[in-house]
Parts: sequence; structure tokens; C-alpha cells
Amino acid sequence: MAPLTPYTYIQCPCSDPSNLSYSRASDSGSPIDGNPGFDDEEHTFDPRAPRSNYSLYPLEYLLYCEDCHQIRCPRCIAEEIATFYCPSCLFEVPSSNLKSEGNRCTRSCFQCPICIGPLSVTSFETQPDPNLLAAPDHAAAPHSGPYALNCSYCHWSSAEIGIKFDKSNGIHGQLAKLRNGGTTRLTAKERKERRKDILQSGGGGGGTAPGASGDTGNDQQAIDMETQFTNLKSFYQGQLSESTSGGNGLSSLGDLGFASPTSLSRIMSIYTGGSLHDKKSKSRVGSMREALDPNEGLIVADLDESAAIEKLHSEGIDGTVDTEQLLNQPPYLGEPHLHGRSRFGSELRPIPYLLRTKRSKRCPVCRHIISKPEAKIQTTRFRIRLIAGNYVPSITIRPLNLNDNNGAAGTPLPPTAPLPDTLQPLKPAHFLLIFKNPIFEGVKISLATPAKTPGRFASKVTVLCPQFEIDANTDVWDEALKDDGARRRGAGGGRKGDERPGSTQGQQRAEAGKIWERGRNWVSIVVEVVPASLRLDTLPTEGPEGEKVDMSPLKEDEDVLEIPIFVRVEWEVDAVGDDLGSSLASSRDKEAKEKRELAYWCVLGLGRVSQA
Amino acid sequence: MATSFSSKRHSILPPISQAGPKPPIQFSSSITIADSALLTGSHTITIRTESVVHPRARLDSSGGRITIGRRCIIHERSLIGAAPGGGLPTTPSRTSSLLAPPREGVEEETAAGPAGVTLGDYVTVEVAASIEAGDTVVGEGTVLGVGARIGTGAVIGKHCTLTPHTIVAAGDVIPDFTVIYSNGTRRTDRRGVADLRNKGQARQIEVLRRMIPSNPAKFQ
Ligand SMILES: [Zn+2]
Ligand SMILES: [Zn+2]
Ligand SMILES: [Zn+2]
Ligand SMILES: [Zn+2]
Repeated sequence: MAPLTPYTYIQCPCSDPSNLSYSRASDSGSPIDGNPGFDDEEHTFDPRAPRSNYSLYPLEYLLYCEDCHQIRCPRCIAEEIATFYCPSCLFEVPSSNLKSEGNRCTRSCFQCPICIGPLSVTSFETQPDPNLLAAPDHAAAPHSGPYALNCSYCHWSSAEIGIKFDKSNGIHGQLAKLRNGGTTRLTAKERKERRKDILQSGGGGGGTAPGASGDTGNDQQAIDMETQFTNLKSFYQGQLSESTSGGNGLSSLGDLGFASPTSLSRIMSIYTGGSLHDKKSKSRVGSMREALDPNEGLIVADLDESAAIEKLHSEGIDGTVDTEQLLNQPPYLGEPHLHGRSRFGSELRPIPYLLRTKRSKRCPVCRHIISKPEAKIQTTRFRIRLIAGNYVPSITIRPLNLNDNNGAAGTPLPPTAPLPDTLQPLKPAHFLLIFKNPIFEGVKISLATPAKTPGRFASKVTVLCPQFEIDANTDVWDEALKDDGARRRGAGGGRKGDERPGSTQGQQRAEAGKIWERGRNWVSIVVEVVPASLRLDTLPTEGPEGEKVDMSPLKEDEDVLEIPIFVRVEWEVDAVGDDLGSSLASSRDKEAKEKRELAYWCVLGLGRVSQA
Repeated sequence: MATSFSSKRHSILPPISQAGPKPPIQFSSSITIADSALLTGSHTITIRTESVVHPRARLDSSGGRITIGRRCIIHERSLIGAAPGGGLPTTPSRTSSLLAPPREGVEEETAAGPAGVTLGDYVTVEVAASIEAGDTVVGEGTVLGVGARIGTGAVIGKHCTLTPHTIVAAGDVIPDFTVIYSNGTRRTDRRGVADLRNKGQARQIEVLRRMIPSNPAKFQ
């Protein structure tokens, strides 16, 4: 099993119900505090609880609201879309275009329908390789149509589905007009004319029963989804106008039937955007006939699937599409009706790139922006980005070698050293926790851990120094100059910058109540753990209250030693220049210091406990 | 352009060490083979007309003869003739030779020892691709993608495309015009542009010949 790299995850305070300030405000005096499940001053956070899965984040994922002085995680942030853009051509798409043209790039950006690789437009004659551009004879043959979309990854080409383009630009528009196989999609005008032709030529045959003759089958082939829709629409419109003329005011029960004019006009107004809704519909009753032939929009299900079966035989499972490919397909109304059609990879169409967004993030409580990307698509920078790492102390974990007698004792393992594979059960192990203060004030940190980790296998945890102060994150040069001055003053020891308890003895010892080491803006402390044995027979047979103990075998990652630790950070800031509330106070007393506090749970993953 | 840079660039690559015996070779006079290509093994290595072997390509004929057809491109760090059994899966061995596409030039040369790897004409072996020895055949016009691995005894048809990091099991038989994706799915290439691609390959070789200094004499 791969050794586990120690990690620190922070639980965003938003997932703790007691921190929901708005829930308290909304029902003030509600018995939230009386609820034992939610009362948490005493309650220990359990990193293994299913709920915790979605509230733990590495520090890098978290943002910070400067006005609420609170950590903000992806769950407690309000997002706003700043810009839409195409990830392929990096063009910004105005949101007005979005409404009319959809959420895909309408330039010439396409993805391979088989492997989602980017497609490039290549001329058919000089198609093969883009790196041939250097060849001199290439210049002699200028690019001229037809063009096709080509995948450079898997060599898929739109020519395979019979689609070729006349021009090398505006592919999106050209593709919309082309059906697979290269036939053009009917325009609305053509469709109208064709319909007129059919009605004129086959006036008598319009009422023939479906399926009675072979030619209806052929008709169905020709009808694509758009045509069927217009046929149906005009048929029903005709029906409605007939029924209004011959209304006779019978019972309103008929109004609810499938074939009643009222329900029909209601349904049609849903599909056609309300244009058909009319006031008179209330008065219509009776029933109407349904569409009877393809010109009226009837399409008979094609139950003959032998062609599909044959194709499956010849192409095998590799020839079919998988769900992902199918879901990636944009809807295309120009294609034939879905009846009797099966999905083969050879029918897939190029996928226009889905647009992406740049989003700015707001604090949901105070509405201040805490992350705002640069508006220009090509830049990945941010105008505003308040990352939690600039406000919250970071915690790094390093194994500490205390019990070793071969000279290396008392030195933390260098970061490059291979981590010990596992922690030995029931054997004390030591870890250094290094707290680094990112802010420009000194902070006071209080830690709290449960003496035993939650879960079935409770390990003992002792934080040797649960309360300490870290100096401000001052300028490195300031510090260097200060050091220099101190040294010149000749004050032998007692330098604040390098405090090592017991370092005089040559070997460091971990002492309760004392920090291990201190630097400019960091402090390291020692935590001692006694990992529990993972053997099931060491589990007590009964819980403290006589409840049954889970004796199931070891679950996934149950051998990872995780310590929940409650961190409280306190610091003072000058109240000057703060927002409205404190401006009054500041005018009264410029020297006033404002106390700040930040408290949260975090989880330290120390390593796997050996199962031997 | 590349030549103007080359004088300023410092290579951090380790020197090439010739490990193992120098194999007997049969080179066409029109091939391009870089000085730093690595040829080892005991069986004959044949390279036919106009093929290009990039620097640091490795051809190992310890497992059998290596035959490279006309106008092939062997990219750098590719390994032709790897020892079989490099952790690749095996398909039940080729059940009948009927399934296999016809292989030219195998029967006539049996006297020269076992066939290791046979590449047809217009084959491209991309960077870091490897082909195991043991009568492995790659058909005409096939492209082996970056880091692709071909098991011993596999027979790959003509004009196939193996996308990067594809693995072909030992003994597998791939029909002509197959595209194999690295996740294992396959597709048949229906473009019918084989001729065009061959033409393109020829043009690319023209470019490469000007860029890669050839030194076939080194391997004599
Ligand atoms: Zn949150
Ligand atoms: Zn685009
Ligand atoms: Zn593709
Ligand atoms: Zn806020």
C-alpha cells in the first residue's frame, strides 16, 4: 500500500450548524441550542462521519471573506457568471447571443465525437499532415475545397459521415444545414413548398390508411424531426380552427380528454410558445380526430430492426456508441425520426465546443466579492482573490524521531526523507506540527483535541503545547536588520528568533507546555500519538452504554490515523479604517484595538497504522 | 531553424552506450539514420528505401531479425524488438494464420534466423513506442502513437492508427484500418485516404532528411 502523505484538511465553519448565523437570526430563540445533536461546544468533530466527506478542504481550496472574517469554502459561496467563452478559440460570447444561439461555440470549434479531441479544418486535397507545411511543393497547391473536420488524435474525419464543407470558415453554420451523408437539411421555405406539393398532388390519397402501402414507409424515411413537427403543428392548427366553427356546448367533461380542443390548445401553447393560445378555447368542446398520415405528422413506428441487427453483427460492440458519446451529442433536429434507429459510432456528428464561464464569487452573507477573475479571456489572473492561505495559519506535519538512539534523535525527518511506511500500533509516535502565520499581526493559537480519536479504533492523542503565540509575518528584511542589531548589541543568548527548549543538552526533548521551535512567523509543536491496534479482538465487546460494537472487518481507510483538532486563532487589529460599525469607535479612540477570532475544526491525517 | 538553435542547446542526456553486440545490417543506400540511434542484437537489421531512424531510437535484434520497410519513420526513444513479456496481457495465441494479414518477406528469409519485428512500408513508430520481438508484424501505413506498446507476436493490419499509450496484447490480430484508442475501444477508419497519407509521409521524410544528419556508416 502506498504510504500516506500527511495532510491537513480544514472543515469550513459553514458546515457546522451552530455557525449558521442566519439560521439563528431567522428563528431567534428557537431550541437549536437545546438540541443535543447540534450543540457543539462540547461535541467533537468526527472526520469519518459521512457528513464530513463534503466539508473538509485543503487550505488551498478555501477563500476568506475580509468583512465577515470567516473562511469561505466552495459550498458557502455565491457564484456569478462573469463571461462566457469558448475554450477552443477563446472568444467571448455575449450573453445575448447565448439566448439566441445556445451554449455552444458557433464559430468553427468542434470536438471529435468519438474521442473528444479537437477537430481541425483541413482541405481535402492537401489533407494529410499539418507539419508538411514546410514542404516547398505545398505552396504550389493552394487550399481549395472541399474541407472536412479532422481529428488529429484518432484520425476521425467528418468525411466518414459524409459531411464535407465548401468553405473553411463558418463551419458551424454549414454543419447545421448538412445532414449525415451530405444531404442538406430542409429550410422552412422548402418544407412549406414540399408540403404544398404533396397536398396538391395527393389530394385524394391524403386519407389513406397508414402502412397500407409501401410508399408511406419511404415517406417516413424522408421526414425529419423538424418536418414532422411542422406537419403536426399545421394539422392541429387546422383541427382547432374547424372545431371553433362547429362548437355545440356539450358537457365540460370532454374538455379533459386527449382529443379535446382545450387540452390540445393548451399543449400546443406549451410547445409553440403561447402563440396559439386564444380566449375562445373555453367555449370549444367535442373531440377531434388525430393525425392519420405523414403529411399530417403521423409517423408509424418502424418495428423492423433487421437492419440494425445486421449492422450489429458486422460491427460488433465497438461499432456502437457508449453513453458518454451519446450524451455529448448536441441535439440535431435535421436528422430523421428516432423510430427504429439505433446508435452506431458511424452516425455521430462533430460536437461544437460547449462554452465555459469565468465566475466571480461573493460572500453569501455580506455580498462582498471575494474572487473576481480578469475579464479578458486570455488571462488566467484574478483581480480579486482572497485566498484563505493569506489569513489562516497553515499547518504542516512532519514525523519526528524522538526515541531513536542512533544519534539522529530529536531531529525532524527532512522533508525529502522517505516517510515511514506505517505507524506501529500501541507504540508512541511523535509528529511536529508547524504553524505558519500569514498575517501581519501576532496571533495566539489555542488547540483542542479529543484525548482519543473518534471511531472504532481510538488512538490516544496528546498535544504537548496546546496554547502558544506566533509572531507577525513581518518583512523578511526587517527581521534580518533587527537580528543584526541584536547581535551587535552583544546580548549573548535569548534571541527571540531561535528559541529551542533544551537545546543546550545537545539533544532536544519534547516537554509538555513548551513549544518545540520558533521562527520568524512560525512555531512548531509536538504531538504524541499512540495508535490503536487495528485488531478486532481488541475491541471492547460492549460500548460504554451497553450498545453493540461494530465487529465488521476493517473498512476502507479505517487504518488511517486522523486527528480532529479544533483551532482557535485570536489576534488584535487596529480598529482604524474599518467599516461603518467601528468608525464610531475609532473616532473616539484611535488607539483602540479590535479583537478578532477565528475558530474551526481541522483534520490531521498522520499516516496508516500497521495492520500486523 | 532547428539547425540555428542546435549550436546553443546543451544536451543533458546521458551519453549513449553501445551495450551488446553490433548486429549485422542491411541498409538501403537512401535511408536516413541518426548517429545516435542505437542498434544492438545478433540478428540482421534490414532497413529499406528512404526510411528514417531518429536519434536515440533503439533497435534490438536479439530476439530475431528486424525488418523495416520503405519510407518508415522511427521516432526517438522508441524501442523496436523489446524482450517479450514486458507485463503486457496476452490473448490466446493466433488461432489460425488465416486471420493474419498476408506477410511479405517472411518466408523467403527464414534461413537468416527467427523473425523478430517486421514493419511494412510507410509505418510510423512514434516517440517512446515499443514493439516486442517474436514475429511481430506491423502492416503498411500504420501509425503507432506515442508510448504505444505492442506485445510479442501481435499482427497489426494495414493503415491502422494506435492512439498514444495504446497497448496491444501479445498475439493479438488487428484487422486493417482499425483505430485503437488507449481505453481499449476500437473503430474502423473509413476515410480511405491511405494514398494521401502515404504521399504525406513521403513529404515528411523529405523534410526529415534535411534535418537529421545521417550516418549509416557508423553501423557497418
Ligand atoms: Zn463553507
Ligand atoms: Zn470557439
Ligand atoms: Zn478523435
Ligand atoms: Zn462576508
